Amino acid sequence: MSLSKPTWNHFGSHHPFPDKQNFDLYRDVPSFPFSLPAFPFAMNALSADEMERFQRLSNTYQPEVQGPAVSTKQASHSIALDYSNADPTLAAKTNALALSHPECRIMRGDGNCGWRAVAFGYFETLFALRDPLRIQTETARIKSLNALLDQIGLADHIYEIFVDATEDILKRILDAIQSGVQDESFLVDAFNEGYSSDAVITHFRLLTSAWIKLNPGRYIPFLPMPVDQYCSTRIDPVKTEIDEVGLQALIHGVIEGSGFGVEILYLDRSEGDAVTPHQLTTSCPNGATLRLLYRPGHYDILYQADSNLNVAPIVNLQYGLSSDYTSSWDSATLGFDMNSSLMAIPNLMQDSSFGMGAPMSPMPSVSPAPPSPFRMSPQQEMYQSPMQSHAPISSLPVSPHPPPPAPSSAPPPMTSLPSRTSDGPQIRLNPLVMKPNLSRSLPVTTPFKNSPYNQAHFQNSDFEPIHWEPHGR
Amino acid sequence: MDYNMEDTQNPVEAQKVAQRNDTQSVTKRLQAELMQLMLSPSPGISAFPDADGNLLAWTATITGPTETPYEGLTLKLSFKFPNDYPYSPPTVLFKTPIYHPNVDFSGRICLDILKDKWSAVYNVSSVLLSLQSLLGEPNNASPLNAQAAELWDSNQEEFKRHVLARHQDLDDE
Repeated sequence: MSLSKPTWNHFGSHHPFPDKQNFDLYRDVPSFPFSLPAFPFAMNALSADEMERFQRLSNTYQPEVQGPAVSTKQASHSIALDYSNADPTLAAKTNALALSHPECRIMRGDGNCGWRAVAFGYFETLFALRDPLRIQTETARIKSLNALLDQIGLADHIYEIFVDATEDILKRILDAIQSGVQDESFLVDAFNEGYSSDAVITHFRLLTSAWIKLNPGRYIPFLPMPVDQYCSTRIDPVKTEIDEVGLQALIHGVIEGSGFGVEILYLDRSEGDAVTPHQLTTSCPNGATLRLLYRPGHYDILYQADSNLNVAPIVNLQYGLSSDYTSSWDSATLGFDMNSSLMAIPNLMQDSSFGMGAPMSPMPSVSPAPPSPFRMSPQQEMYQSPMQSHAPISSLPVSPHPPPPAPSSAPPPMTSLPSRTSDGPQIRLNPLVMKPNLSRSLPVTTPFKNSPYNQAHFQNSDFEPIHWEPHGR
Repeated sequence: MDYNMEDTQNPVEAQKVAQRNDTQSVTKRLQAELMQLMLSPSPGISAFPDADGNLLAWTATITGPTETPYEGLTLKLSFKFPNDYPYSPPTVLFKTPIYHPNVDFSGRICLDILKDKWSAVYNVSSVLLSLQSLLGEPNNASPLNAQAAELWDSNQEEFKRHVLARHQDLDDE
């Protein structure tokens, strides 16, 4: 990442991800024949009109788009859109991310983004707690960290302007809480003033540097060079990107004392459909956690879906309600042999172990039948299968259950059933329901207010779903 | 991608505020540095703002360290501080003509802490101390003056002769 030229390319300059900025420039002039002003000979052939247009483009061209140091909260959906044409793994992960962490805050990619994300996240979390006492405790704690700076021999007249800046932000937070300010825009503004932002980041850099120097044993094994050299080249210099060791030390030395948790979500091309979370703090007693999104070379802040609400299964119910089971399911991904006779079994879908507490309409062929024999305890079937259908079930000494009374509408012979080896969910949703190309075609990616899993609207007479707009955010 | 994302902020206004704060911050910081230099001066270095009352331009002197080719020489330098100092390094030039592997004939200096390794904890006095030690330990891996780098390694006496030939005391202005 460029040290001297801060850019609003938040993927980092050497990043292989799509960069739409340059493309946008020419979006409005699709007929324009050149995308780069690198053809002096061809330029002579342009008409005056085209030359003028060229000049206008050239005049307004801004290769380094300056975003705000800290953006306002925005929908994480925009991140997913950035990757919609990228590697499928990244597309899938960012789509899942937009559901689990619906909001984000983009940091300017100027080399300070990781430092800024942690610092801003720290102050914002503190503000969100609305606890004046906590602010005072934190102010005292931050002040006490000056001891670290003294111990590494930093003169107080050098560091005090940075400490002052941090204390000033803490004071602004206290004032805001006491005067009942609800929104955190004052903090965003403070971080967008170069002065506060730079000074606070420098303060955090110095504390981190001092922490590493005073606890070398914890970090030396991870450093490619001596501690002093590491600090003076990777931590102290302005606009130097934070690395993994630096981040650990920043969390250990500065943030952890506040009791906040820190979680990093790594967006990379590793296996899986979700970004990989890493907990950087050992414990998080009060539940306040800063979450950062890491893309190689860049950090942003993430906000989880409201944790009060149930966020466990990300399931598209509409697939479960389909009556055509055989065509819309990829049978290769199912955990059992999906033949039509099995699917015709009444009540199978109402199995409580199916694990979907959500309302489901009964299947068309379901009759209010007595408990189906095929919902018998799994042990029975498990023991049955090795017997190859010869022995009657009741003769099994280990079977804890007697055979059930056969229902009047006799289903196909039991022996046609595949064995089920666990009592986990007996029907698993096809993983394809998680694939972005399917979920994007349905409105489920734009959830109800605040959370896709919020069921409060069932009781709300004024409930109105948000209309999904393909290009909205 | 929201194409209007960049428009939702007001960068011009933010920049103005930032600049105002920067200027206050620079002034405050430079006053503190000056105070420190005057209260506890380090031997062999000194610095003071230029007479025109502009705190962003200083003149400094360093004395050539003993047991180096620069022993006994007095070298003047100019410091120009950017508006976002100390978050950007000052521009430092040798005003006194100097023959050194890491200084070119315009007085420009090649030193990492004045470029990408700048940290906000560096100050005038730490820069001067670094330069003083650079006089005795040039970084010949990345020379601005290749001949000087070569001579330093091959012929110290010839090197010193070049140093003295190039040196020219500046009058106090």
